[in-house]
Amino acid sequence: MFQKEVLNVRGLSAGYGPMRVIHDLDLIVHSGERLGIVGLNGHGKSTLFSAIAGLTGWQRGSIKLNGIEIGRTRSQGPGRYTHQIVRAGLSLIPQGDEIFHGLTVEEHLDSGAYTQQAWRERAQRKERILEIFPPLKALLKIPVGRLSGGERRMVAIGRGLMADASLFFVDEPSLGLAPKIGKSVMDALMSLKLSASAMVIAEQNVSVLEGRVDRILGMHAGRLKGEAAASLAFHTSYQRI
Amino acid sequence: MDALFIISNAIVLASIYGTLAIGISITWSSLGLVNLAYGFVFAFAGYGAWLVAQHISQWGPVVLGAGIASGSLAGIIICALAFIPIHDKPNFTIRGLIATLAINLLGTQSLLWWFGPRSKSLPEIFGTWKITLPGMVLTADKVGNVATSVLMLFFVLRWMQASRRGLEIRAMMMNPHAASIVGIGVRRTAFYVMAITGGLAGLAAVLLSQTYYIGPYGGLTPMIKGVSIALCGGLGSVRGAVIAAILLGLNEALTSAFFGGQYVLITQFLFIIAILLVRPRGIAGILDRAREA
Repeated sequence: MFQKEVLNVRGLSAGYGPMRVIHDLDLIVHSGERLGIVGLNGHGKSTLFSAIAGLTGWQRGSIKLNGIEIGRTRSQGPGRYTHQIVRAGLSLIPQGDEIFHGLTVEEHLDSGAYTQQAWRERAQRKERILEIFPPLKALLKIPVGRLSGGERRMVAIGRGLMADASLFFVDEPSLGLAPKIGKSVMDALMSLKLSASAMVIAEQNVSVLEGRVDRILGMHAGRLKGEAAASLAFHTSYQRI
Repeated sequence: MDALFIISNAIVLASIYGTLAIGISITWSSLGLVNLAYGFVFAFAGYGAWLVAQHISQWGPVVLGAGIASGSLAGIIICALAFIPIHDKPNFTIRGLIATLAINLLGTQSLLWWFGPRSKSLPEIFGTWKITLPGMVLTADKVGNVATSVLMLFFVLRWMQASRRGLEIRAMMMNPHAASIVGIGVRRTAFYVMAITGGLAGLAAVLLSQTYYIGPYGGLTPMIKGVSIALCGGLGSVRGAVIAAILLGLNEALTSAFFGGQYVLITQFLFIIAILLVRPRGIAGILDRAREA
C-alpha cells in the first residue's frame, strides 16, 4: 500500500542557458515505491534528477519533497541550494559516479552519511552497505581513484545509500558496466528495504527494469509519457495495491 | 658560510613558506579561489600580533596566538567580501582573482593609513637562547620557527584527516560538484577553509617577523613566494607543496649565500619554470598515482 507522497513535482521546466530540457513536467512518487524512468540518451532523465536537486542552470515550477517546497524559480547559481535539498532528504546517485579520487572507500561512505542522524549511525550503516556490496569489504582503506569501474559504481551507490534520505535517485546504475556486474548492482538496489522512502531509477534499457520495479514511466524529449510499459511491471504494481 | 648554516637557513625558510603555500593550495583546490589577498592577511596578522604585544602581553604564545587569530579573522572577512557574493556567478575564477587583488590593495593602503609607513618589530617570542652543536649554532628563533610551523602544519593536516569538517574540505578539494551532491554546503565550508588558511598565514607572519619587520607591504613578497611554491608543488597537493617548499627554501638559502639576496626571485622562478616544463602539473604530477576521471 502506498502511503504518502514523497515527491510531488508540478509544472517543472528546467534547462541550461537558452536550452530548455524539461518541459512542464508533473511527477508524483509515493513512499515505498520503486519507480523506473526509461528513455533514450539526451531526452532529459539526468536533467530531471539534476533539476530536482537544484543543479541545472535554471528552473521553474513546484517541487515538493515530503511536503516541503524545494523548487522555487531560479535563474542562476546551479548547486547553490543542493546541499539543503540533500539534507531535506534527497540522495542523488549520479551518472558517472562523481567520486572523490583521493578519498578511501571508507571515507566515501562516511561522506555520504550527511545528516546528523546518519553521521551518528555511520558505523551500522557502513555494515549494511558492506552486506549489500561484499567486494567493498577488502577495499575499505584504498583510495577510490585506484578502483575499477564496477567497484567505483558500488562505492558511489553505497555512498548514496548511506544517507538518511526519503528519496533515492539512481541514474543509470548499470551504465558502462559488464552485464554481469550491472545485474548484480541492480540486484543490490532491488534488495534494499525502502520502508518509508522511495527510489527512482533511470535506465535506457526497459528490460533491465521490467518486472522489478513498481511502475515504469517513459521519458521522451523532456516529457514523461504515462505508464510506458503497460506490461508485467504495471500489473504487478496494481496487484500489490 | 658553511654548508650546515645554509641548510639550517633553508629549513627555516622552507617551513615558513611551506605554511603559506599550503594555505594557498588548500584555498585554490577547495574553493577555486586564487587568494591574492593573502599578502593583506599576512600584514593584517602581523599588525594584530603587534597590537597585542604592545597593549596586552609580550609573552611568546600570546603574540603567536594573536597573529593566528587575526589571520583567521582576515580570512573570514575576505571570504565574506570576495567569495560569498560571487562564487556561483560566471567566470568566478577571474572575478575572484580581481576581487581578492582589490581587497589586497585596499587593505594594505588602509594599514598604511592607519599605522603609518614605519615598520614595526615584534618581541622575540622564542627568547634569546642558543644551542651550540659541533659545526653550527642554532638560535632560538630558528628552532622555534621550524618547530612551530611543523607542529601547526601537523595539527592542521591531522585535523583534515580525522575530523568531519576536514573530510568536507578534502571532499571539496577533490570534486566540488560531488561535494554538493552529498550535502556539503560550499559557503559554510568556505568560511572554515578561509579561517584556517588565514590562521596559517598569520602564523607565518609572526614567524617571519622574527627575521624581518612588519610593514603594510610586508606581505607581498611572502605571498608571491607562497603562490609560486603552491604552483610548483601542483596546486591542491599538500605533499607537493611541502616538497616544493623544501626545494625552494634550499634554493633561496643557496642563492643568498653564493650570489646575494637580490637574485633570489630570479633563481626561484627559473627553478619553477624548469619544474613546470618537465611536469606541467607540478611536483604533485609525479606523486599522484590515482587514475584520472
